[in-house]
Amino acid sequence: MVLSAITEFAAQEPKLYAFIIGLVGAAILASVINVAAMAVVWLERKVMGDLQGRYGPNRVGGRWGILQLGADAVKLFTKEDVIPRGADKPVYVWAPIVASATTMLVAGAMPFGAVIIDGKEIPLVVANMDISAFYVEAALSIMAISAFMAGWSSNNKYSMLGAFRGIARMIAYEVPMGICVISVAIMAHSLNLVEIVQAQDIWFAIAQPLGFVIFAIALITDLGRMPFDQTEAEEEIIAGYNTEYSGIRFGLLYFQEYNVMLLGSILLVLLYLGGWNGPVIPVISFISPMIWFFMKVLIVLVALIWVRVSLLRFRIDQVTDLGWKILLPLSMVNLAWAVVVGLYFA
Amino acid sequence: MTTANDVLSALQSAFPGTVEEAKIGPERQLWATIKPDKIVDVCKYLRDNHNFDHYSGAAGVDRIDEGLFEVTELLASHGAHQVVALLKVKTPRDSPSVKSLTGLYWNANWYEREIWEMLGINFEGHPELYPLLLSDELMGVWPWRKDYKGYPDYTTAERAIEMVTSEGYTEYSIPPTEAEIKAGAVPAERPKYPSFREREEMEIKGESEMILHMGPQHAVVPGPFLLDILVDGERVKKAFLDVGYIHKGIEKIMENRTYMQGIPITDRLCYMASLTNNEAYCGAVERLLGIEAPERAQYIRMILEELSRIQSHLLGTGEFLTLIGSAVFSPFLYMIIDREDVLSCIESVTGARINHSFVRFGGVRNDLPDGFKDMTLDVLKMVRQKTEEYKELFLSDSIYRKRMEGVGVLSQSEARRLGVSGPPLRASDTPYDMRRDDPYLLYKDMDFEVITRKEGDSKARVEVRLDEIFESCYIIEQCLDQIPSGPIMADKVPKRIKPDPGEAYYRVEDHRGEMGFFVVSDGSDKPAKVKARGPVYAYFQALPPLLEGVYIADVVAIAGSMDACTSEVDR
Amino acid sequence: MGISDVIPLPVAVDKELEKWTIWGRPLTDVWFTTTEKIHEIIDMGPIKNVLNWGRKNSLWFLMQPMGCCGVEMLVFGCPHYDCDRFGIFPRATPRQVDVMIISGYITRKYLPAIKNLWEQIPEPKWVMAIGECAISGGPFYDSYNIINDTSKFFPIDVFVPGCPPRPEKFIEGFRQLQEKIKQREDKRGY
Repeated sequence: MVLSAITEFAAQEPKLYAFIIGLVGAAILASVINVAAMAVVWLERKVMGDLQGRYGPNRVGGRWGILQLGADAVKLFTKEDVIPRGADKPVYVWAPIVASATTMLVAGAMPFGAVIIDGKEIPLVVANMDISAFYVEAALSIMAISAFMAGWSSNNKYSMLGAFRGIARMIAYEVPMGICVISVAIMAHSLNLVEIVQAQDIWFAIAQPLGFVIFAIALITDLGRMPFDQTEAEEEIIAGYNTEYSGIRFGLLYFQEYNVMLLGSILLVLLYLGGWNGPVIPVISFISPMIWFFMKVLIVLVALIWVRVSLLRFRIDQVTDLGWKILLPLSMVNLAWAVVVGLYFA
Repeated sequence: MTTANDVLSALQSAFPGTVEEAKIGPERQLWATIKPDKIVDVCKYLRDNHNFDHYSGAAGVDRIDEGLFEVTELLASHGAHQVVALLKVKTPRDSPSVKSLTGLYWNANWYEREIWEMLGINFEGHPELYPLLLSDELMGVWPWRKDYKGYPDYTTAERAIEMVTSEGYTEYSIPPTEAEIKAGAVPAERPKYPSFREREEMEIKGESEMILHMGPQHAVVPGPFLLDILVDGERVKKAFLDVGYIHKGIEKIMENRTYMQGIPITDRLCYMASLTNNEAYCGAVERLLGIEAPERAQYIRMILEELSRIQSHLLGTGEFLTLIGSAVFSPFLYMIIDREDVLSCIESVTGARINHSFVRFGGVRNDLPDGFKDMTLDVLKMVRQKTEEYKELFLSDSIYRKRMEGVGVLSQSEARRLGVSGPPLRASDTPYDMRRDDPYLLYKDMDFEVITRKEGDSKARVEVRLDEIFESCYIIEQCLDQIPSGPIMADKVPKRIKPDPGEAYYRVEDHRGEMGFFVVSDGSDKPAKVKARGPVYAYFQALPPLLEGVYIADVVAIAGSMDACTSEVDR
Repeated sequence: MGISDVIPLPVAVDKELEKWTIWGRPLTDVWFTTTEKIHEIIDMGPIKNVLNWGRKNSLWFLMQPMGCCGVEMLVFGCPHYDCDRFGIFPRATPRQVDVMIISGYITRKYLPAIKNLWEQIPEPKWVMAIGECAISGGPFYDSYNIINDTSKFFPIDVFVPGCPPRPEKFIEGFRQLQEKIKQREDKRGY
């Protein structure tokens, strides 16, 4: 009965119906994404512990420590709210909100897998835009702006140093990343992420190996992970741009970093590792692409954590050297390669 | 090979009438009292003609019965010969004043500052007589004098008055003790000098320069000290160092404990090297008593000290890695796992993990348990294999090489001038090792190499430490082969330790460099003066010149490659 | 302030209303505020238990090695005595921690610095004193530079004796603190 009422409403006022569906979808997406960020933090603590010869959290919520992040969230929610004297109050308050908004913006345009209904693949995406690859890559860089806002407004020398380093890093690595995305789009003849995945009969990681490596390095830098986490180097500048944040604001900044890590690895999988393509598993063919997608994203996440634990940190001038002097020329070479190979095998 | 007699006769012929009393001590030591106005000339003569180019330290003793202060300068050589010259200068107690040696030796700076602020002896010609270890409230009371009324002090917490400055920071002022007020020993006028902050701010010249505080609370370096760097963008222009945040006054405390009660206090001097600190103190007192430990005890001491060296180098290298990497960097944690095995070997003998208090006058406290040899040989095999892996990791890791090569370079002459010792000095191509240059225990029978490197940068310092782990493993294996059975305590150790009046100086190769203990006894059962000369004091003194012109990220790397232990600086 | 400011009525009405009482309380008094009511509801029981569960299971402490016990604190976060199992995590900045560990000697020069660190930590916060020197001065109790009685300056909840205590004792100290938080018996009264 309810279903017929809804279909009737959809037929009568299509625009309002689409708007309401969009709102509901956005709400579901926002909550799911934040829970997924918590799962990524849990994964990181456990995998880091395993690589270092110890257990991760294993007391809270059973043997696997599943509720550890819940306890962290409850604690951060109920901390005192401190705004340092002399801080730029509007910018200070808006920095974590900008960070969360960025992840919502990015997540809206990304496909999260596909389901097979009646032999047809339907991608799961909230907003299927024609230029989604470019849009996602550009929106990911707004995270650096939120880090800069946080660092600048705190009225603290350490935060300011962290903020400057973040901006230097972002400027150096946006260009190679953009050029790699364009090279992929040339080979796939489209900027739509769904079509890029559907055009990958052979993975682009094999067709453009140089681009894969460059994009992976630029992605790690953009996410601010080791070995490129100069903006929050713990021993030199205490905690970098989030030195003065506490409580729920810090919780937002902290979780958004892992959120962006999840979205960045999904982007890598979509662009270079074939998205959800894979042989159809016979029995559960309904969600078989989702399983492939999930496995690939998991492998990329574990690889990112592994890199964090094993490598030292660069100095900031070495980071910008790497970006301008090595990655930028190589990405030009990759672009030329993509044009030639793409045209030849078109 | 120059001997102490040669030096003494040369000195007496060059400066007739200046040498008042002279004595040739055991183990190549020359004790001489010099007239106060000639001390600078004598030191210059010794430095230029007889290669005494290493200024070890200075100790100030308060002889209240004779109405004198004595300042003993310790001079040695970087390997040309093995003589140690201890030159004493006496000055009256009413107006104490000694000529400063900072013109000849650069690193005499901090030693003389400390003697000034603790005893009140003025050093003429010293460029910056400012307080080093004490807070501003204790200036002018001269705490280490024998008639200081503010010791013992059990009421510091009760007397503290809390104030809030205009910027909202909490400050404390602690008025003098009742004993001081009753005796009228509170100076009405405190000496005036610019404070640490004011001295820093005088150096800011440009608009884009700012002072960054790597403040007392550090994330990984153990022990608080304040390192302020004047930065312009990301480059350091000048560095300032403020120590004394954990100054306990150990030397004053040890004057009020018996000799035996002083052993646990020397443990806590540098907690990662507590066995060598014990050894240095007990060796000095054994010289005063004139006894020597039996052979088995000396072998046990050597085994434990080398094991302690292995664990200290593992922890020091691990901490250094966290400073250039992050605290979650895996090799640091793997080194900690290895260190736990070494610590359990030591713990099976002494019973504690850090502060052992194991060495006694004339021997050691416990004997080795059964099965110690097999356990230790297994652990050493594992340590050797793991250290090989760490060395290979560092050689092949390009990020590590980029961060470390050419960073914080100490040339050979610079390292000698700044007065550092231990692995940083050996990484700058100077083979100066107390186990070779001033042999104690049974090191002259052991076969080992002194590891040196030529480059003098941070990478060389870390490599020297890792190679020393191999040498320590080799020494322990030799000791375990050769150890005889026998007693672990000497026969004639008196129950109440009351040495005859005299002085003794004993040097050991601490994990971080040259450590020396200078003990003065006046016939009672408590020492008249104990001076601990630590190696990290020289490192901290040498840090500000090293840090000029580097990046901020390199500041922590250089400070970490020196392997600091702040407790030894502050004592 | 009275009803005559809102509705055009003569001031005499205000004066009359101020004399009325109901249930023993004047009618024109502030009866309760929303914030107080929320605090009362939270303090009653179940919600506070959930909050305390969250706080006790994710205690973050300040990395601050001060003395000999500081070395044991460094080792405490490392594989053999892993503290991450309990959700305990070291952070470098005082703004993001809950527990401050005093792990060594406090001297006259350092006392203002550590007090300022303590004041920077946002509520709710706790202190743990580890080692003899933090409790009462340790072997240096009669020195001119050491603060003998740290509990005068900080509301210390847990004292862990030892010189230095083994890292397992640190874990026990944290467990005691967790028990105290759960039973709501900590000094600050959260």
